Amino acid sequence: MLTYRDYLAFAEKYLLLAEEKSKTLEDTNWLLFPATILAWSAIESFINNMLDDFGSLPESMFQFHERAFLLETRIKFIDRGNELGRFALDGTEYRRLEDKIGFLIAKFGQARQRVRKGDTLWQDFEDFKETRDRLIHPRRDKEVSLDIRKARKYISTSKKIIQFVSQHVWKKKVEF
Amino acid sequence: MLKIVFDEQAKENELVRTSVDQFLTLVPTLESSHQLPIFIFQDGASGAYYVKCSLLAQNAAVLCDLDAKLDLENPETYRANRELLLTNRTYLKMVSDAANGREFNDIIVEHNTEYNLVKPLKVWGGQHRVNAIAKSADKGKNNRYHGFRIYFNLTKSQRTEVALISNTNISVSNDTFDRMIEETKFGNKLLKWCQLVGFLSGKEDFPDVGSRSEKISVKRARSFVVNYYLGKQRGKQLSPDELDENVYEPYLVQTGTAGGISVDPTYEKIISENDILSDAALILGGERFRALHNAQYRAIIEPSSGVKNTKAFRNKAFVESVLCGWGYVAGLLQNHPERLENHYRIPKTTKAVPDPLNAEEMSKYKHDSDDPTYRGLGTRSALKDRQRIAQLFLAKSLEKSVVIDKRLMDRAVSTVVGLISLSKGYV
Repeated sequence: MLTYRDYLAFAEKYLLLAEEKSKTLEDTNWLLFPATILAWSAIESFINNMLDDFGSLPESMFQFHERAFLLETRIKFIDRGNELGRFALDGTEYRRLEDKIGFLIAKFGQARQRVRKGDTLWQDFEDFKETRDRLIHPRRDKEVSLDIRKARKYISTSKKIIQFVSQHVWKKKVEF
Repeated sequence: MLKIVFDEQAKENELVRTSVDQFLTLVPTLESSHQLPIFIFQDGASGAYYVKCSLLAQNAAVLCDLDAKLDLENPETYRANRELLLTNRTYLKMVSDAANGREFNDIIVEHNTEYNLVKPLKVWGGQHRVNAIAKSADKGKNNRYHGFRIYFNLTKSQRTEVALISNTNISVSNDTFDRMIEETKFGNKLLKWCQLVGFLSGKEDFPDVGSRSEKISVKRARSFVVNYYLGKQRGKQLSPDELDENVYEPYLVQTGTAGGISVDPTYEKIISENDILSDAALILGGERFRALHNAQYRAIIEPSSGVKNTKAFRNKAFVESVLCGWGYVAGLLQNHPERLENHYRIPKTTKAVPDPLNAEEMSKYKHDSDDPTYRGLGTRSALKDRQRIAQLFLAKSLEKSVVIDKRLMDRAVSTVVGLISLSKGYV
């Protein structure tokens, strides 16, 4: 199975290749697009696996709504049968990556630690997300403009976000 | 009559004087042939008495006993000295030097006539030199004088210390140290226990160097016993629901001289509080673990398994983290018989997982939180690995028939990482 390190390594290879091609003024978009998407996948891989770690713990260790969040499932109110009046986990409900990060920091970070949307890192993340969304969900009226500098920054943002979450949840720095 | 003098640092002792006198009567020395006075010294640290003498090679060859014993009262005593390394370069150089007339010094022996009477000089330090001297004397040449330090009236603990100190200038493994200290402090209980459960055959002893051997070492046997009892103690405090809500910390017994020339205090406490030779549940645990080791070993040496036949894979059960984790869980589940029985079952094998411990897959396993240099699950003795392995066996014990596959490894390691993170959070 690929890890966040693999995704980052692939992204960096594409970027390196793009830097080579740019020296001869060749088109580089076909390399910068995958570099950006792979850098995003690195964060997704890291965060999803971290949520899975908590999802694998005994049920009693989390509140019901927290388990639903961790497992990306819906909470359903049961209105018939023996379980009438209770709640159950049922069906998939995908969460946004930024929400998952927000939950991890709030739940496992140091006291009163929250994601601050005004911070530079979070602003960079938002910018990265917008570009990634435009690449994944293309529309005529939302053009994507990428260059080497931007792609390099996205890879760097990916690493910084991973490091930020690791330090808050695991209390340790990861090596890339 | 030779003059025997106690050095000013040595306390006069008539028993020792008599023993020295008896030695000088029986054993020809350079000093006695020239009527030189003999000084008796006393080691300040241990209180042991000794003299310094020179012996001819031919006499040394006849009188020296390389099979020295630490415990004179026990016929089944541990072998004290390590195996002679007859192909070792340093030894071969000694042989060649002896043949060329090299005179050796400070060979450490004990004069003891309580066993093997014809060889009263029990060698504690310099067994390779003595062997080289004997070889050169065989040829009838180079019958030179060699320097000996000869100890008298040693107690068991003084004898052990002499053996340990004498061996610090050559490469003696921690496992040999452990073996010596084990016998001095506790007799042959652990050895007997290992023979009882089948880790060692009837007459087998612990290996000199555990890492080179495929047998269980003193350190590993101690770790198994300690973890069983630590787990048992912890298990008593937990209800069935709580078993899977904790990170457990299997203990690795300190070895050799890591804590000075002494025994790991946790082991010392446990061995003095428990009779390991009559604890049927511990013996059963040991037997089941030995069965797992045998099954793993057989699976790997079977050519059709397709798994690389390496020592690390064959002896996966004996890797310290695996052994400690398994032993701990065996103790932990003593009050939970159904899960204990599941734990004792040898993991299922399949075409894709041909060995019970899935050694190859374990060695590739890595969690996101691990450094890139991490060498895989159950390959090291570090606490992190011991915690993860304990969780792996605990997760396995939830069901009867389990394959140790990547999914189970993921579940176990995720649980450990999740629980540790949770304990660091503020909720």
